[in-house]
Amino acid sequence: MRVSDLRLVLGLVVSLGLVACTSSALPEPTQAVCPDPDPGTLTWDSFGQKFMADYCTACHDSSLSHAQRNGAPLYHDYNTLTGVLEIPDHIDEYAGAGPASENTEMPPSRCPTVMGGPLNRDCPKPTTAERTNLAVWIACEVKRPH
Amino acid sequence: MRGLHRQEVAAGRALGSPRSIVATLAVMCAPLSSGIARAEHDMAAMSAHHAHEGSELSAGVAVEAAQFDTMAYVGSYQGITPSIGWMRGRFGAGATLGLYHLNKNGLSLYGIGDAMFTGHATVWATETVQTGLALHLMAPTGSELDGLGMGHVMATPSAWASWRRDRLSLWASAGYSWALTGGAGQHNHGPSPLVDPMNMQEVTWSAGGDLDVAHGIRVGAHAQGGIPTGVGSDRVIGAGRVAWGTPRVSTAFELQLGLAGDPFTIRGVVETALRF
Repeated sequence: MRVSDLRLVLGLVVSLGLVACTSSALPEPTQAVCPDPDPGTLTWDSFGQKFMADYCTACHDSSLSHAQRNGAPLYHDYNTLTGVLEIPDHIDEYAGAGPASENTEMPPSRCPTVMGGPLNRDCPKPTTAERTNLAVWIACEVKRPH
Repeated sequence: MRGLHRQEVAAGRALGSPRSIVATLAVMCAPLSSGIARAEHDMAAMSAHHAHEGSELSAGVAVEAAQFDTMAYVGSYQGITPSIGWMRGRFGAGATLGLYHLNKNGLSLYGIGDAMFTGHATVWATETVQTGLALHLMAPTGSELDGLGMGHVMATPSAWASWRRDRLSLWASAGYSWALTGGAGQHNHGPSPLVDPMNMQEVTWSAGGDLDVAHGIRVGAHAQGGIPTGVGSDRVIGAGRVAWGTPRVSTAFELQLGLAGDPFTIRGVVETALRF
């Protein structure tokens, strides 16, 4: 075991490690806060349902089979308020905008024209204002009685 | 990252004998994702020829196919993983990068997985027993959103030991994997079938044995898994393997079953390695 060998191996590993550390950004919580008192302006009926229909439920719908979901995970279904409230943090971290982050991982680049259909069009994208409203609505909705 | 401990285990087992260099090189080139790495050592160790001092290089390729049925996804994937390795004396290093076709819940996509870099060293070796240490680093080259990668750096230091007598070899290893990210511990990779380790922090382990059944042919079985130390789920994989070849060119086939934790339902891997 020679010192030069040890240095060579350690140098290689450290160098590769540094290269490895140069990328990656995980979805982050937006840290959006519901105003106190809750103004009640952003609700499932007034905002959430339309947002989900416009941008999400072509793939994230509980009526879709495995093969129709275009990669959407099972149990990530947003066609009902109950479904949204199953994983509110996940939605916030992938599509919401707030003080801490603006998450644009979802919607993806390609979407189906019809629910469960082939990916044959560019996905419509929410505006920053819509993403901000999404995060605030979720922050409020999780505190409301259901 | 699958089977990561087996690479250095095999390397360590090879040391301490005149054929050690070739054998060690053999495992260095094996893609970690396949879990067949150690078979390359087994093939090489069958011959006392071709041993020599100094640095040596190796190259290999593994082809794998798997089906999975997890809580979130149903589908399959196929992958091809080139690898390179370097070895000198007790020390070695290697790198692998897999290319995948993934079909999950009706979505078909192609892409690279996470790159893996390994450095390892044998600490103590006799004719029958070897021990050593290793460090694996996984770089987030695969898309986390597509399920092809972790989305962060993962480091796994580990220790291993092996024992060999006559035609029988036994080995075991243990390590600790943790995500090098500010969000560490806040989620895990459970639903993604290609990502392993699946947990943000976990104790990883492996154990197995091999038997020489004929000239140039070995059969074996092993188990490996992960135990989360925070949020996550246990994972256990069982496998059977047959390997054949010469010290310079060796091939192995391994059939793996996901026993716990939804890593996959079944996976087959064929791997060939060339040492020079």
